[in-house]
Amino acid sequence: MTETMETTDTTGSRGSRLLGVVTLLGLATLLLFAFALTEPDVRLHPTTGQEIGQFDAVRLLYLHVPLAVFTYVAFVLCAVASAGYLVKRTAWFDTMAYAAAEVGTVFCGLVLVTGSIWGRPVWNTWWEWGDVRLMTTLVLFLMFTGYLALRRATVDPRASARRGAVVALVAVLDLPIVNRSVEWWENRTLHQKSTLGELKIQDLTLFTLMLGFLVLGLVLAWLLLHRFRVGWLEREDAGHGVATAIAERRADIDEGDVDAAVGEGA
Amino acid sequence: MPILVTLLVVAAIVGVLVKTLGDATLVFHEVDAAVELRADLGDGRFRVVGTPLPGLLETRVDGESAVVFTLCSAGAYADVVHVGDPAELFQPGVPVVLQGAWKAGSVPGIAGLDAPADDGWHLRTDHMVVKHDNDYRVEEGRQADIAACGATG
Repeated sequence: MTETMETTDTTGSRGSRLLGVVTLLGLATLLLFAFALTEPDVRLHPTTGQEIGQFDAVRLLYLHVPLAVFTYVAFVLCAVASAGYLVKRTAWFDTMAYAAAEVGTVFCGLVLVTGSIWGRPVWNTWWEWGDVRLMTTLVLFLMFTGYLALRRATVDPRASARRGAVVALVAVLDLPIVNRSVEWWENRTLHQKSTLGELKIQDLTLFTLMLGFLVLGLVLAWLLLHRFRVGWLEREDAGHGVATAIAERRADIDEGDVDAAVGEGA
Repeated sequence: MPILVTLLVVAAIVGVLVKTLGDATLVFHEVDAAVELRADLGDGRFRVVGTPLPGLLETRVDGESAVVFTLCSAGAYADVVHVGDPAELFQPGVPVVLQGAWKAGSVPGIAGLDAPADDGWHLRTDHMVVKHDNDYRVEEGRQADIAACGATG
C-alpha cells in the first residue's frame, strides 16, 4: 500500500533517479574540466609578443554554448508538441509542450545570464542593446515568458492549451533569426560567429565543450521528464477533482430524488 | 479563414522583425566607410569598428586620462583619441567598437605612433567595447592570426 502511494505521489522512478545521479556526476565533471583542467584562452600577438585573448572568461563557453543549443532544442520540442496538440488534441502533446516551454525558458534565462557575465570582461559591457543576437534572444525569452503567463491566465484548460499552442508556433519563428543573426548581420554585431561551424576549437577545449553538450543534454532530459510528470499528475489531479465533484453532485441529486419520492409518497 | 488571418499576422510579425532588425543592426561603420562619410557624419556621434595597431600612447586630454592609437579596418586607417578607461581586454590586434565623433586636427603625440593615418582628422571617442573573434584553439605559445589590416582572423 505504501509502495503504491510512493509511485503515484512522486515524479521519480528508478530510471529517473539513475538519470539524476548520472546528471549530477556529469555536472561535477563538467565544472572540473571547465574551471580547472582546461587552459585559459591566451595567444601571442605576432609582432608585439603581447598576450591577447579571453583569458579565464573563456571558461563560460562550456556552459553558455550548450545552454543556448538546448534552449533551441526545448523550444523546437515545444513547437512540435504544440503543432501535435492542434492536430490531435491530446493531453500528452499539451503537457509536453508546456513542460518544454518551461524548461526552455529557464535555459534561455541562463543563456542570457552567462552571456552577460562573459560579456563584462570580454566585451567591456554587461549588455549591448545594438547586438542582434542579444536582442533576438531577449525577445525569445520574453515571448516564452508570455507563453507561460498565458497558460496560467486562462482557466479553461482546453482554451489554455489551444492559445498556448498558437503562441508557441509564432514564438518559435524567432529561433532561426536568433541562430542565423551572426551570419545574416556579419560585422554588424558584437557577437562572434559560430566556432564549431569553422572548427576553430580543438583538443581539450573541444572535448570539454562536447562534454558540456552531453551533460546539459542530460540536464534538459531530466528536467523535462520531471516537469512532464508534474504536469501529467496535475492534469490527473484536476480530472480527479472534477470527477469527485460530479459524483458528489450526483449523490446530492439522488438523495433529493429520494426525499422527493418519500415526500410524494407521504 | 482563421488560417489566412493567422498567416497574415505571422507574415506581419516577420516583416516587422526583419525591417526593425535590419535598421537596428547598422550599429557601426568600418573605418573606410567612416572616412568616406566624414562630411555627412559632421560632428555627430557614430560607432566605428576596427583593429588597433601596435603602438599605443597613454596621455591626458582635457584633464582626463586618454589612450591614443591608430585604428584600421577594410584597408583604411584613422587616428583615435579614446578618453576614459579603455576596455579591460583592449590590446593591439583585438578589434574594438568605438563610439564618438570626428574632430579636426592631429592627435596629441602623433610622432609616437607606429603607423598613423595623419590625415588632419582624428576620432574622439569615449565608449569602447571589444569585438572578440570565435577562435578558441589553445596551444602553448600560439600566435594570434593577424590579417594584413590588423584584424584577427
